[in-house]
Amino acid sequence: MSLRDLNVQGRNIQIYEGGEGTPLLYLHGIADMHGLSDEKTNLIDLLEKNYRIIAPAMPGCVGSEEDNSLENIDDLRFHTLEVMDELGLEKVNIVGNCVGGWLGAELSVNNPERVDKLVLAGASGLFVSGEQIGDLFMAVQPLNGTIDDVRHMLFDDGNGELAGEWIPDQLAGKSQGMLRYKIFRCIARFGFKPPYFYDPKLIERLHRFKGKSLIIWGERDQFVPMRHAEAYEKGIPNSSSQIIEGCGHAVNLEAPQQVSDLISEFFG
Amino acid sequence: MQPVRMFCWHFMAYPHLPEDFDENNDSGWVTVPNKLWDGEKSRGLYQEYLGQLAYADELGFDGMVLNEHHQNIYGLMPSPNILASALTQITKNGKIVVLGNLPPLFLNPMRVAEEYAMLDNMSDGRLIAGFAVGGGPEAFNYNVPSPQGRRRLWEAIDLIVKSWTDDGPFAHEGPCYPMRYVNIWPKPLQKPHPEVWVPGSRSVESMGEVAKRGYCYFLSSRSHGGGTRMAAKEFAGVMKDHGKTYTPFKMGVLLSVYVAETDEQARAESEEGIFYFLRNCLKGHLRKQGRSMTFGPGVPSQSLRSWEAFLDASRAAAGGDLLGDAKDWEDLESKNSIMVGSPETVRKKLWEFVEDAKVGNLLIQFQFGNMKDELARKSMKLFAEQVMPAMRRDSADLFAKDFPMLEEMEAAE
Repeated sequence: MSLRDLNVQGRNIQIYEGGEGTPLLYLHGIADMHGLSDEKTNLIDLLEKNYRIIAPAMPGCVGSEEDNSLENIDDLRFHTLEVMDELGLEKVNIVGNCVGGWLGAELSVNNPERVDKLVLAGASGLFVSGEQIGDLFMAVQPLNGTIDDVRHMLFDDGNGELAGEWIPDQLAGKSQGMLRYKIFRCIARFGFKPPYFYDPKLIERLHRFKGKSLIIWGERDQFVPMRHAEAYEKGIPNSSSQIIEGCGHAVNLEAPQQVSDLISEFFG
Repeated sequence: MQPVRMFCWHFMAYPHLPEDFDENNDSGWVTVPNKLWDGEKSRGLYQEYLGQLAYADELGFDGMVLNEHHQNIYGLMPSPNILASALTQITKNGKIVVLGNLPPLFLNPMRVAEEYAMLDNMSDGRLIAGFAVGGGPEAFNYNVPSPQGRRRLWEAIDLIVKSWTDDGPFAHEGPCYPMRYVNIWPKPLQKPHPEVWVPGSRSVESMGEVAKRGYCYFLSSRSHGGGTRMAAKEFAGVMKDHGKTYTPFKMGVLLSVYVAETDEQARAESEEGIFYFLRNCLKGHLRKQGRSMTFGPGVPSQSLRSWEAFLDASRAAAGGDLLGDAKDWEDLESKNSIMVGSPETVRKKLWEFVEDAKVGNLLIQFQFGNMKDELARKSMKLFAEQVMPAMRRDSADLFAKDFPMLEEMEAAE
């Protein structure tokens, strides 16, 4: 997979670009390209058939330089605005998965002039009473030597091949071990401290984004419960949601064809 | 010449767990259900533990060591300063080592500066001020994002030390703790300030931060023998890089010791307490069984470089057994992590260690898990009477030979 380096305010950031057509800014999640893997996912392959995919890796992930001053989602949002400026993306369509979805929602609400249409998949970001976002940080700490808990939190079939391939136990492979550490170190900067993976004020501000939005969710998401999809749909005026049956949090990996079809249908 | 300094370390473990604790619980930390706390059985527990530390002072130890842990059965010292405060009144001679307070857990590190200054005055200048970043469990307990911990720690330490040495009021710009009026009352008694100790587990980053300020580096990972020698060598190298001179007293190490009349008796008396400590107290911390909370991607305080080194080491060690993984007594002995035996055996083991590692501050744990008061005290007494004198005599000679600059430094003081 070819990546290029981008200098963003003196810091090296890796960008994946591929495909032709309308640009889509892809904001990655945890079980995703630039997160637990440095390879392209099937979803990206499918989307590239119709769109130009632009996917920056968050600071500290894969080959992107760490940013010790990154302390909250607002810092990540401003960083992403700098990336968009460097890339000349004045106003762009965003597809945000998982924590990348939270970032996409923040950009849409705070900088609506920069976001055209928005797709969120399994996005964290909201506080929904009684529907807590899972403690991924505890789940990734080995229990009796294995990290089954994090596989079950991110995948519907935590015992399945896909989950095992994406999240092997700690000592299975060094390169995967490093990628995992990098994405967790990155997300711990803005997601560990309460609020856990959310911004308590975001839900009240969602109405400020008037663009067309699509919310995609795995029916059995164990990380960001499905009620969060309803909250996003209720909060964003021009939005609709699509629930994928039999899927967990990682809809991008568990149902790439379905997700790609929904996105293509949405953007047209 | 200054001989090796021997301190009495205490964890203050919770000693009343049910026998089936290990079977039914994933961890002795963070999530360990506090319905297991038995208030009646625990009546007098702090008095007992404080009594042991006061006894260490009577026996002539160089000091007493406290530490900070939260929501766990390993160490009942969420606030070590409260216990240090008691020690200022019931001990006379030894240093009171708080190793350490965890500044990243505080909203404002001035509270730590103030409490340490109070303790230094209350103890007539006997405080050794330790500062630590906190481990994985503290990240979960106190919501400290691990990657930011070190940055907060070092800003806090520098601010605290400055508040002790510089006249106030002055302003501190931050970035973590901006403050308009830094002006503490009281100031510590010791000049220029109490000795500062900072624990680390061999990461180059921490060593560098400690070395450039000339503080004492405390090796918190119990890597005995060769591991400590290597760490001392690394730290000496890092100090040199920063234009400082390494002496044995720039480093401390945690050891665990039990002494009885004979080797057999030592094992018989200590085995229950030691395995209570290994199986229960270390579960969740230094044990693979159960939920590992001390380090990992969920609490990513190590730099990427340190994590890479950790992955390499764990893979090389085929699973990387930790102290708490010891299967039985023989396995424990082979790890050489706990020194148990007659005064002669312990003297020999400890001397081999000092001769090899040349570390000047030995922080020694005598009480393990649910070990009874009389046994812990007996072990301490035998150590003080039959191990300590030889250690003091021989180490002074050894250090004088290997570190000739010590004499000049002492004279300069």
